[in-house]
Amino acid sequence: MGPVELLHMSVFSLSYSPCGRFLAAGNNYGEIALFSLSAALSPDATSQSQKPVLTFTAHEGPIFSLISTDCHLLSAGNGEISAWSWTELIKKNVKPLWTRRPNYKSSLEIPEINSMIINPRDNSLVVGAGDNNIHILDMEHGEFKSVLQGHSDYVHCVSVREREGEILSGGEDGAVRIWDSRTGQSVHCIEVYKYEDCARPQYGKWISCVTTDSDWMLCSGGPALSLWHLRSLSPTSVFPLTGCQRQATFYQDKILAVGEGPYVSHCLLGGKVKAEIPCTSQSLNTLQLNTNSTEHRVLTVGGSSDHIDVFTNLSYKAFSLSF
Amino acid sequence: MGAVTDDEVIRKRLLIDGDGAGDDRRINVLLKSFTKWCNSSGTPEEGFTQYQRMLGTLSQCEFSMGKTLMVYDMNLREMENYEKIYTNIEQSITSAHEKIAECKKEIQRAKRIRKNRQEYDALAKVIQQHPDRHETLKQLEALDKELQQLSHIKESVEAKLELRKKQFHVLLSTIQELQQTLENDEKSDNDDISQESPAENGD
Repeated sequence: MGPVELLHMSVFSLSYSPCGRFLAAGNNYGEIALFSLSAALSPDATSQSQKPVLTFTAHEGPIFSLISTDCHLLSAGNGEISAWSWTELIKKNVKPLWTRRPNYKSSLEIPEINSMIINPRDNSLVVGAGDNNIHILDMEHGEFKSVLQGHSDYVHCVSVREREGEILSGGEDGAVRIWDSRTGQSVHCIEVYKYEDCARPQYGKWISCVTTDSDWMLCSGGPALSLWHLRSLSPTSVFPLTGCQRQATFYQDKILAVGEGPYVSHCLLGGKVKAEIPCTSQSLNTLQLNTNSTEHRVLTVGGSSDHIDVFTNLSYKAFSLSF
Repeated sequence: MGAVTDDEVIRKRLLIDGDGAGDDRRINVLLKSFTKWCNSSGTPEEGFTQYQRMLGTLSQCEFSMGKTLMVYDMNLREMENYEKIYTNIEQSITSAHEKIAECKKEIQRAKRIRKNRQEYDALAKVIQQHPDRHETLKQLEALDKELQQLSHIKESVEAKLELRKKQFHVLLSTIQELQQTLENDEKSDNDDISQESPAENGD
């Protein structure tokens, strides 16, 4: 990897291993790098332990989404989903277990897959794709069992509301749709840009991140990052963050958000921005909290550089892993 | 050259320190002087002075022995003291650990409570934007009453209308009957007259 390529690298996705000791990162060149968190966090870590233990090319195009199940790592980029076994990857064996492609209607261009999430209710994989549809893959049988249609432009992000068994999706057309996972029908459609408090017409109407906590939903993109109460479908707080946020998550009593701007924003549910912690990259694409392990509870963020910042204490950046 | 100086060093050290250091040397010197004194064949004054000197050295040795015994006692007691302090510190460490764990739990609880409060506040903000339920209910009640009154009025007006219609109907039908009766009477009168006149013409 020459220095020019490192300069142009963007990290699009991060995922932790089920044991919590490894971090997988996907970049725009189609490579996945495996970092050992236990080595990087140990007291006698050297600069070598901040380099990947394994790097391999997984896809031809950028890897926009990585998720981990109990024993697999699923990666998706240019229209294909590949599955890798974590135990094999830790042993540095890079053969994929399977590769599938959802049934796209047009065979001329292959739409990219922007986001995936596991629906634990029926053990299925929800895939938000660039052909404006959401494809549901049954993990047990390996078959695509249904397609949720309704968006009029490509789907940016998907999330699952576990208690009610609903799927939320946000797309370029500015709509956040709530789908019932059993019937496959769109139960609600919220057009965020139509609400005056959240809309920011100068940025557009696209929704780039949707995340939910069963009662509440955060969504952002063109419109400002806003907290919605799902039972009443009304926006309760709008956060005054400049720039478009690309990923947000609920953590204890705070909201963490990353997007344009070299910082992680900590916000309170009431709408106040409590802190903005600076990071290495100029703009951030993804943030992940390690909930799989108790001794490696870290937050990692990745963005438009080859550095992945690791936070052991949320208030400051501890160190950076680099490709 | 190193070997030569080593030998020199060893020889010098043995010369200076051959009897051991400090108290050891004093005891050795005492022993040596005692044997010398026993085997000496000098004047009694010299023997006496040597004897005095030996007593002095002996008392020095006893003194230093007493000192070391006291130091030993002191060390034992210091050790006990340190053991006590050590156990105290260990206990306070474990209690501090427990307190830390408690505090961490408290923090988690407090964070949860804060999150709930903030969610409550956010919802309350939205709810405040809507008008008060009592007021809306009162408005609804007032509207209901108005509606009832209006429907009453409508009913009474309709009843009046019906009554008038019926009265007019009665009036009109009576007029018609009267007309009919008058016409009938006229006709019967005319008939009577025409019947009478041919009878008169016949006469």
